[in-house]
Amino acid sequence: MSMVIETDNLVKVYGKGKEEVRALNGINMKIPPRSVYGLFGPNGSGKTTLITILIGLQLPTGGSAKVLGHDVLRESVEIRRRVGLLPEGFGFYEHMTALENLSFFGALDDLPAEKVKARALEVLETIGLKEKTNAKVATFSRGMMQRLGMAQALMKDPELLMLDEPTVGIDPEGAAEFRDIVRGLNKEGKTVLMSTHLLYEIGMVCTHAAMIRAGKLLAQGTVDELSRPVREAKGFAYEIHVRSGGDTLRQDIKLLPDVREASLRDDKITVIAEKDVGTALFSLMTGDAYRDQIVSVTPVSPSWEDLYQFYQGGESA
Amino acid sequence: MNKSLTIARREFTDAITSKRFWLIGGLFILLYLANVYGVAYVFRMGGGTFGSSRLTLQIGSNVASTLGYMAPLLGMALAFDAISGERERGTLRILLSRPLYREDVLNGKMISAAAVVGLTIVASTLLSVSASILLQGIAVTSDDIVRLGFFIVIAILLAFAYYAISLFVSTFSSKSGYSLTISVGVWIFFAFILPILATFIASAMVPRPALVNVTAPTQGREPGQMFTVTGNYTRRIEAITSTIETISVNSHYSTIADSLFGLRTGAFGQQEVTRLDLAGVISTCWVDLLILVAFPVIFLVASYVVFTRRQEK
Repeated sequence: MSMVIETDNLVKVYGKGKEEVRALNGINMKIPPRSVYGLFGPNGSGKTTLITILIGLQLPTGGSAKVLGHDVLRESVEIRRRVGLLPEGFGFYEHMTALENLSFFGALDDLPAEKVKARALEVLETIGLKEKTNAKVATFSRGMMQRLGMAQALMKDPELLMLDEPTVGIDPEGAAEFRDIVRGLNKEGKTVLMSTHLLYEIGMVCTHAAMIRAGKLLAQGTVDELSRPVREAKGFAYEIHVRSGGDTLRQDIKLLPDVREASLRDDKITVIAEKDVGTALFSLMTGDAYRDQIVSVTPVSPSWEDLYQFYQGGESA
Repeated sequence: MNKSLTIARREFTDAITSKRFWLIGGLFILLYLANVYGVAYVFRMGGGTFGSSRLTLQIGSNVASTLGYMAPLLGMALAFDAISGERERGTLRILLSRPLYREDVLNGKMISAAAVVGLTIVASTLLSVSASILLQGIAVTSDDIVRLGFFIVIAILLAFAYYAISLFVSTFSSKSGYSLTISVGVWIFFAFILPILATFIASAMVPRPALVNVTAPTQGREPGQMFTVTGNYTRRIEAITSTIETISVNSHYSTIADSLFGLRTGAFGQQEVTRLDLAGVISTCWVDLLILVAFPVIFLVASYVVFTRRQEK
């Protein structure tokens, strides 16, 4: 499968001598198509630097990167033709209306002149700002600005969206609506690269994630790929909901190979195993003995906090 | 080129609808009104004896003096936040995330600036000169029109020299306030400090001749010899000051404008009329003209180099 973004040992160094700072230190990242790829890391970890290099606003000091098959050094204009960017700390021409701003940026996106206005109205409707079409941007709230930021990124109908800390500074309701927009765009087939320092946001929107710290990728992959090493280290957890007779079932589960612990509380049995025992538990659920007692068997994924703590500890996947 | 024009259209609309532009426009109008009044005053005081050609030169000289201050202000007002302002507002990243080359951004801004500067200087100069001419009923010759046209080009070059300096500072600055301070500082240095500094240096370098009593020639000197002594002194002072002021774009503008309108300040502060035809002006002031052209070109090239190489974090 060809990747939407592929970097090879990407390095970015600011300053020289004693003031040298390695903002990116050998990043190898692969972003598959149609994914929502969360780039998680604390402030100053290199997320913005990585995004600005990928779109051609900065040049890498070393290594290479391809976006949609185009080299970031030689073909940055082609990249910008196909990629929409919502940068951090962006702004608009505040004396102009939302429509005027979008029409201006649309004209620079190579949209045919006769289609610019129609496209601007279309994206304003998509991001829920239709009623503000002719309002001056100076009157916009932070949340509306963020939506308009998304609108300008969508003007060129990009295959890939890069969103740098898109929910920073907006209220929880606005952030939730923003995440809905991202999910909707992903359903339409767009790939999204989204940086954030909010761990919970990754779990809410992303299909894939990477953790970055001090310019290094600690881990990357699907949620399942990222959780597996953590589960192997800390144990595989399952929750079994039961109707009745939970204690007998709990004792039988404890006799299964590799099961370390099984505890009953109310109508829920929590199982911790050394290995993946999902198949054995599923057999119990469908077998004659407990078919009527077991409501569901659910594997419990480690939380994003667990993952981050695990990878931050240096046990890279 | 299309993208440059798209940017230029927006920049032009922004510029001519901005408060800053109308503030400078208001200053232009005030100063030109003063010029019209000044010409009317000169006319009342003895214009009949000057002749219409002399009056046209007076009008031109007044306009040149006004534009000597206003053209740099106009250039700086258009450029000091051209790039740094985009950076501050956060629009630069959005702009540069479009499929364009960085040169397109600068091209667009310069096309717009050329249009605004040209329009402002041509319109205001023509209005002022026409008002004076019509009010005084002066007959304008084709030579006057050619001189005025040439002068407008010189004034636009002066405005563009300051536009280029401000643009250059703006390309590497993240704060428009910083960019404005540097630009205004350069203007104040060239327009006010350097002439004083040059005179001071020249006075220190050339020994002052002994004071001589004009009415009572003594020590065997005739009055004619006394003027020769002071004339030599003044010429040496002028030579040194003009050499020092070579670095000032304002000085080259003034030299051309003075030659164009035939008025220059003499050794004793009097205005001397030394009228040259246009070919004569160009052949006398070709170095000044070259520097006036080179100044904006150098700073515009420097702006391109800095802006296209600068990385936006």
